[in-house]
Amino acid sequence: MFLDPDSKWAHRLNPVLFLLPALTIYIVFAIYPTISVIEYSFTSWDGISPDREYVGLANYTRLFTDKIFWEAFRNTFVWSGVIIVINVGLGLVIAAMLARVWKARLLIQTCIVLPVVISPMAVATIWRWMYQPSGVINQMLETIGLGGLATPWLGSPEIVLYALALAHSWSTIGLSVIIFLAGLQAVDEDLYEAAKVDGATPVQAFRYVTLPALRPVTAVVFILTLTQSFKVFDLVWATTKGGPIRFSEILSTYMYKRGALENQYGYGSAIGVSLLVIVSAATILYMQIQNREDR
Amino acid sequence: MYGRWILLFALGVIAVLMASPLILTVFTSLKPSTELVNPAWYPPLSVTFEHYVRVWTDGGFSRYFFNTLLISVIDAAVMIVIASLAAYAMVFIEFRGKLALQILFLIGLMIPVTAIVLPLFQIVRSFGLLNTHFGVILADLALAVSVFVFMFTSYFVGVPKALHEAARIDGATEFQIYRRVIMPIAMPAVVTTALLEFLWSWNDLLLRLLLLTQDEMRTLSVGLLNFQGTMTRDVTGLSSGTVIMAIPVVILFLFFQRHFVRGMTAGAVK
Repeated sequence: MFLDPDSKWAHRLNPVLFLLPALTIYIVFAIYPTISVIEYSFTSWDGISPDREYVGLANYTRLFTDKIFWEAFRNTFVWSGVIIVINVGLGLVIAAMLARVWKARLLIQTCIVLPVVISPMAVATIWRWMYQPSGVINQMLETIGLGGLATPWLGSPEIVLYALALAHSWSTIGLSVIIFLAGLQAVDEDLYEAAKVDGATPVQAFRYVTLPALRPVTAVVFILTLTQSFKVFDLVWATTKGGPIRFSEILSTYMYKRGALENQYGYGSAIGVSLLVIVSAATILYMQIQNREDR
Repeated sequence: MYGRWILLFALGVIAVLMASPLILTVFTSLKPSTELVNPAWYPPLSVTFEHYVRVWTDGGFSRYFFNTLLISVIDAAVMIVIASLAAYAMVFIEFRGKLALQILFLIGLMIPVTAIVLPLFQIVRSFGLLNTHFGVILADLALAVSVFVFMFTSYFVGVPKALHEAARIDGATEFQIYRRVIMPIAMPAVVTTALLEFLWSWNDLLLRLLLLTQDEMRTLSVGLLNFQGTMTRDVTGLSSGTVIMAIPVVILFLFFQRHFVRGMTAGAVK
């Protein structure tokens, strides 16, 4: 950096000096752990003892026969599925509505996007409180005469996963709405005019003009929501810790229990690798779609 | 034009529904304990700040708050420097192995933090950095740096090459060009990076839960989690703690909404 800019050494050293801080931290604390998690997954290490024993694929064969793993696996997909339906479906509808409105648009948009910046930990506290047996939601249901629907939301096996998915969607749908809005602004206004001239109703215009034009954006939101929801740990851990029993157990909470709490580092890492594989595959897909769009 | 009004009404309902969990939390945090028998959507009839005071002093939230602030500010500041330096080299300096480096940074976009926390814990421990803010900061930086390297890269690519050339001909070193020519015009990328990294750092639970086990080192996320575990029935305390955690980011969001929106869409992969 302080060398004569035209010297040969400056040319060699410059890129090194500029890249060194970022690269060092990145390799030591991100790349190395990624390689390690794969390595750990082939051991029976407990996370403490100095030597680790390699056990080949034993952890992975155990995964295949572990009923709890498959439950967590299934739950993760159900959880993701629910969130995708809400964030993509409802997100698109809200964005399409918002795009037609000028009055109070900023205010409405702010209300919808604001939860995105709230910490999952705070989201967990808020929704745990609202879902309590005597909480706001049950109070509301009783007030409007639907007291029969009142239930301990986070305590009931059939509902807990959906209840948590709703809380997650509340705090993330704003992002889908923003991305859809940006996509909608790029749709050619002339197409709407043409549809109007042809006598199309607003719903028909949405069906035959908006939806086809938004297909690439929809794919982006879809995969984004998928990867985001697969990575969730904080919200579930801070509300139910995977319970009651295993009804809201997802891959990340199961990994944390086995690995960090029970010191089964090898097995926990194998669960981590399964998460890594799914999320990376989805992210690669996401980047390819984005690339195709940029072109 | 009834259609417009129906649309506006429907959106109004959605907006109220979206805002109500936050509003109700604020209501509860301001209610005297005697008013808790009222339904949650009753606004506080007389406002009290006693729960905030209680949580802030006895609940230890003042310490959690400043721990969180310290980590988030350092995270954001260091991130701006290291990510922009790296992106500068990637865009303006010729060297071999650039493509390989690009792919290396690309991998960072695909790694879910959740999947690698177990070995990350071991590495932080082997450096003797468990229970230090420094350890958390290093982990935060590592896990988000690729997002911001790409953010700066895509910004720098739009800067006319002639600007860089001209400064070179004038005899400026690369570092001088970075400091005096490129960074001053990269302010939008700097602001986005600062806001987004601050936000992520402020909000994270998992890494802090794992890496900070002593109470005096803890952040708001871990503090709130423990408070929730031990004071499950303390509704007013919990809502005050939640508001304390949410307020800084909400204020930032209201002031910099446009930057946030742009940053979150660009950095959405993380």
